[in-house]
Amino acid sequence: MKLRVVYDKVHVGRPVLASVVARTKVLVNILEAKVSPKGGEVVVDVPDDHRAASVVEAFREEGVAVEELKQHILIDLNRCIACGACVSPCPVRAIKVEGSTVEVDEARCVRCQACVWACPMRAIRLL
Amino acid sequence: MEPRGAETLRTYEEVNERIKRGDAVVMTADEYVEYVKRYGVEKAAKEVDVVTTGTFGAMCSSGAFLNFGHSDPPIKMYRCWLNNVPAYKGLAAVDAYIGATAISEDRGIEYGGGHVIEDLVSRKEVELRAEGYPTDCYPRRFLRTVVTVDDLNQAVLLNPRNAYQRYLAATNSTDRVLYTYMGTLLPRYGNVMYSGAGQLSPLYKDRGFEVIGVGTRIFLGGGIGYVIGEGTQSKPQDLLATIMVEGDLKKMSPRFLKGATVHRYGATLYVGLGIPIPIINERVAATASTPDEEIFTEVVDYGVPSRSRPVVRRVSYAELKSGKVLIGDREAPASSMSSLTKAREVAEELKKLILRGEFTLTRPVEPLPTYREFKGLEVRGYEPRVKDVMTTKVVSAGPDDDVREVAKLIVSHGVDHIPIVDRDGRLVGIVTSWDLARALANDKRSLREVMTTRVVVARPHEALDLVVARLEEHRISGMPVVDEAGRVVGIVTSDDIARLWRVRAA
Repeated sequence: MKLRVVYDKVHVGRPVLASVVARTKVLVNILEAKVSPKGGEVVVDVPDDHRAASVVEAFREEGVAVEELKQHILIDLNRCIACGACVSPCPVRAIKVEGSTVEVDEARCVRCQACVWACPMRAIRLL
Repeated sequence: MEPRGAETLRTYEEVNERIKRGDAVVMTADEYVEYVKRYGVEKAAKEVDVVTTGTFGAMCSSGAFLNFGHSDPPIKMYRCWLNNVPAYKGLAAVDAYIGATAISEDRGIEYGGGHVIEDLVSRKEVELRAEGYPTDCYPRRFLRTVVTVDDLNQAVLLNPRNAYQRYLAATNSTDRVLYTYMGTLLPRYGNVMYSGAGQLSPLYKDRGFEVIGVGTRIFLGGGIGYVIGEGTQSKPQDLLATIMVEGDLKKMSPRFLKGATVHRYGATLYVGLGIPIPIINERVAATASTPDEEIFTEVVDYGVPSRSRPVVRRVSYAELKSGKVLIGDREAPASSMSSLTKAREVAEELKKLILRGEFTLTRPVEPLPTYREFKGLEVRGYEPRVKDVMTTKVVSAGPDDDVREVAKLIVSHGVDHIPIVDRDGRLVGIVTSWDLARALANDKRSLREVMTTRVVVARPHEALDLVVARLEEHRISGMPVVDEAGRVVGIVTSDDIARLWRVRAA
């Protein structure tokens, strides 16, 4: 399960993520991390779906906003021509062309944005 | 043997008669391939009147002639822009050609001529800006307005090179990601990108150019177009033929003309193009039935920045379309830059038009050549190579030398780079004066500890501008020059290149 964690400017200076991992003992994979004067944002993947709820809970207890990233790859079907330019550049093979549609395995995606740039129709966005 | 274009099975008139009566047998190339596999080519030749083909891919040599009409007072435009994309104005006062790869002056490759063409066929308003020099007959200097395709007198898509018969597939042997016109190529043969519709490819289905010639009516961008000649860079003898086509842009559709951006490469236009193949003789019947398994292309290495890229292997379109290509002993994922889905849509659409009696076939008025010499461009005059500027007296050291001894070498010879070589003179690393300063400050003694082992190198015959690009990319000031065996034969630094410029300026 992928989670987006939003820090305000108070929490951005605290080891929130480290303490969540230490307390829950659930391993997470950091996919993105951004810090600005206003605060910060981290996207983490919790590979073990069953234990994701406890991670969400722990983040809330630390006082940061957390939401599950359900559908995070958006394909504009009005522009997509199902060519395949995004398929083989994907390092985790999360995209397939099935017949005339493009199928995305959201769980595999590591948000590297290779597909976003590979798309000649500029039809792909990451949320 | 029957002459090329012989109408022994059916004539164009007979086919068109059947189309008008509504009893012509029309199949897409996909359907026809299956039909021949099941019933054989003899029966197919007897039964099938027309096979429709289609392709939908990036076709950079595309563009449109536009006539804007005269403003009042009139202007002799010598420069003009559509949505800030420059169009060619070396024509009469209000004629222009917008090329697919022209790029926006503010948005760069994210919006180009291909996007302007898509916006025009989408009937969107497009900003027209023009500059003129006043003459007695054209007094206006400047103009800014908005136009739609319907405001124009003519809008004609005219593409000098479309519908490549097949296209070379691409892979990448280097250890960095390449962004090419064949898409994103992952390091170390990480993927294969290809283009072309295989068994649906219009020009592959008539390899002998028996039915496709000057004057052939085609499906172009959702409207009607014509083949007007051989395409530029056509190489029919190597199954790399192309055609030049034109058609009324006003009657085309954004479903089959799409502006595109190829990352770090440029803007282009995706064109949907389909050609009907009338089964006029047995040879055409057989050629049109070629399946993906028998259509081959080469996978070439885009890691080599040269006109002649090395061929990695030969591959069929069946293997490419399977999504996996064997490179060495590893399977690389393969995917397409062109759209097979849209290519099928083109072939289906053309089939429907014919079945509805809205599209009849034309006999070529002139055949297309089946052989064309393919020339490169020789750059005459002096172009500096690495060997012309490199220093051949190289001060080098061994990996086990003492840091302080090497530091002395740097001082006594006044150099900044010391290649580290083994006993046979082969490069194993490099140290710079900065590395040595740091080593001395940190009390390191052995060169092995401080040298860089992944060394950026140059070859003696390499063009100097490639080396300049590499110096910039890696933010370094020099690199060793090595021969085929990896032996150091020189060193080239930014100082050497600066010296070349001084000499040239003088």
